[in-house]
Amino acid sequence: MRVLAFIIVCLTGALLLYGTGEFPDWGDPQSPASVHLSNVYIEKALEQTQVPNLVTAVLADYRGFDTMFETAVVFCAGLACFLLLRDFREKKERYYRHTPTGVILHVKDSKKIIKVGKEFAHMDKNWVPSDLIIKSVCRILIPFIQIYALYVVAHGDFSPGGGFQGGVIFGSSLILLAISYDLKTLVRRIKEKVLGIWAAVGVLIYVGIAAICMPMGGNFLDYSVLAPLVWDPHHVRALGMLGVEIGVGIAVTAVMAIIYINIVSEGRHEEGL
Amino acid sequence: MDNYPALIVVAPLLAALFAGIAAWIEERLSYPIAVIGLAISTFSAIMTLMTVIASGTIHYRMAGWAPPMGIEYRIDLLNAMVLLLVSGIAFLNLIASYKSVEQETSDRAGSFYTIYLLFVTGLLGVTATGDLFNLYVLIEITSLTSYAMVALGDKDRGPLASLNYVFIGVIGASFYLLGVGYLYLITGSLNMMDVAGILPALKGSSTVLVAFILCMIGVWIKMALFPMHVWLPNAYSYSPVAFARMVAPLMTKVMVYVMIRLMVTVFGFEYIFETLNIADAVVWLATLAILAGGVMALAQKNLKKMLTYIIVCEIGYMVGGAWMGNQLGMTGAILHILNDAIMTFALFLAVGNMVYKLKKVDLTDLKGLFGKMPWTMTGFVLAAFSIIGVPPTCGFFSKWYLILGALEKGAYHFAAALIISSLICAVLFFKVFEICFFEPMSEGHGHGESHSQVAIEEAPISMLIITGFVSLSLIVVGLYSGTIVNTIILPFLK
Repeated sequence: MRVLAFIIVCLTGALLLYGTGEFPDWGDPQSPASVHLSNVYIEKALEQTQVPNLVTAVLADYRGFDTMFETAVVFCAGLACFLLLRDFREKKERYYRHTPTGVILHVKDSKKIIKVGKEFAHMDKNWVPSDLIIKSVCRILIPFIQIYALYVVAHGDFSPGGGFQGGVIFGSSLILLAISYDLKTLVRRIKEKVLGIWAAVGVLIYVGIAAICMPMGGNFLDYSVLAPLVWDPHHVRALGMLGVEIGVGIAVTAVMAIIYINIVSEGRHEEGL
Repeated sequence: MDNYPALIVVAPLLAALFAGIAAWIEERLSYPIAVIGLAISTFSAIMTLMTVIASGTIHYRMAGWAPPMGIEYRIDLLNAMVLLLVSGIAFLNLIASYKSVEQETSDRAGSFYTIYLLFVTGLLGVTATGDLFNLYVLIEITSLTSYAMVALGDKDRGPLASLNYVFIGVIGASFYLLGVGYLYLITGSLNMMDVAGILPALKGSSTVLVAFILCMIGVWIKMALFPMHVWLPNAYSYSPVAFARMVAPLMTKVMVYVMIRLMVTVFGFEYIFETLNIADAVVWLATLAILAGGVMALAQKNLKKMLTYIIVCEIGYMVGGAWMGNQLGMTGAILHILNDAIMTFALFLAVGNMVYKLKKVDLTDLKGLFGKMPWTMTGFVLAAFSIIGVPPTCGFFSKWYLILGALEKGAYHFAAALIISSLICAVLFFKVFEICFFEPMSEGHGHGESHSQVAIEEAPISMLIITGFVSLSLIVVGLYSGTIVNTIILPFLK
């Protein structure tokens, strides 16, 4: 079997190499990919879409339909994670820490619930005494990361960036919160329900903006017909793109957090990394 | 309204998102939202098919950009037919699914319907699009959702089946993507019609050849052509019933559609059958697939598993027919997409009813089932006749075209394999009938009565109505085969 696999791998490799024989040269300005479509985008995009960033114009307008489904793919991934990993059963054993003394209680009876408050705190089994330096640094850092994420989303039309990148940055700030404090802090700050709804709402913003174009008299995703709805009709396409990018950002942020929480806590949302 | 082509795909997507939100707020709303979404989609598909028959191919520009720049939906007779098939089956199955979802995954029904709708969105998008890369993105959605669904099925074996499916499925999708990448490199375009216009000038190019092979292998893996079928039987038989009933008839058939689309529209018959010389080899591969599928089906002890191997066998029919290189073979292959989807759906509906009542469907569990579930078994018998190819059920007509095509080309091995596999199916199904009809019910099921007076314990009425409707449509579609061929398939192939 292993020999067979090896032969198949070699054959596939040879096939791929054979195909490269007639590739255009690396960076050749006369290659079909550069002269057939790219030049049209480069020449026309600014004039047609009023967006200075070509990549965003292609991504969110010319091929915006692909991007919409890519967002749906991200949503699917988050949903699949939730569907397969989420475990609603109560955990049998719990650990608590008596805050004033630092004594740790191990409660084996799941019905006996100690009220968490000033005196007692939940504790992870693989709990590490919280490090003041890490906590403080992250506490200062997280707001800046989040503001930067918002900048990346909002400025996608003009400079490198956009919803996917901004969403990932924002999502990672949430993950940093979970790592520097503990998972409970994150889950307490942002409820699971909120994440689940926001993931869908993010994609819905994209699909919704695209779908509104149909009753307005245009084709699906044709931002230009939205002109009567916005304050700056000349830049209607740019505004449409900004709208869908915000949707993408929300969806990606929520999905990042959903995937992280479900994987590290084995679906229980109680303790983990 | 001119937006029907977009609505076919967008309605289930919007419904999926609303169902996903409803799952968190009021889970009972998810189901009606899903039904409305698919009803709109099916209605749009009917309208689109009628428009295409009346006034020819529809070009729908996404975001209003002209084709090579933007993404275009190009809907001709072939995909209009497949779109109606996919949305119709997904809609009917959703109605039949309410009870089985309640039984199997009641604690996360909202998420189940969301994934279900996203899967349908993916299949419809794959069918409607006229853009090679957009097709890949939608394949990604169908794959991702089906991995999740399979893992959600059987508690013990579902996750492993899903993992195998993930590995092989990802390889298949990557092959296709790599093929599209090669095509883009050499043509600079992703639009199917645009690429088709550029390719004839590049007839001898090795890059085009490799792109073609990569795309074909990609879709063959996705459609489970023997010997690339190993993921299919486990994935389909361990997934939740409500999902299996839809994925079994649709997923592989849509991939056959993709293959035919690439062959007819993108690369062109001239390139495939005159420049390349591999058609005979592929027909042999299809012949092997038919025989291997049949033989492996014979060895199964579980009804669901047995049916999944029959799917492997049927894939051989369609691939062989499409690669016959003549009009008769291609007609047979396209007609078989339609017929096979309906008859597999009918079979899985009947099996779904059995699973609902019996929990597991090893052949030995089926004893005395004619007495216990007479209506379900009637549907099962009709579907089985159609798979075997008994006239006037629809299965007979597509096989007839396939055999004629094989004889015209002189591919006698393929014609022989078709007949042998029909015999194998006959043996298989009569074995099942025998168990269901003649063998007395095993202890514990009979309520202490003798087996001649078994109490009827049928599946819920919603499931029975759909089963009956689909089984009867097997005969209706069979009787109207001539009309379908003359109004849809032959004009498409011209």
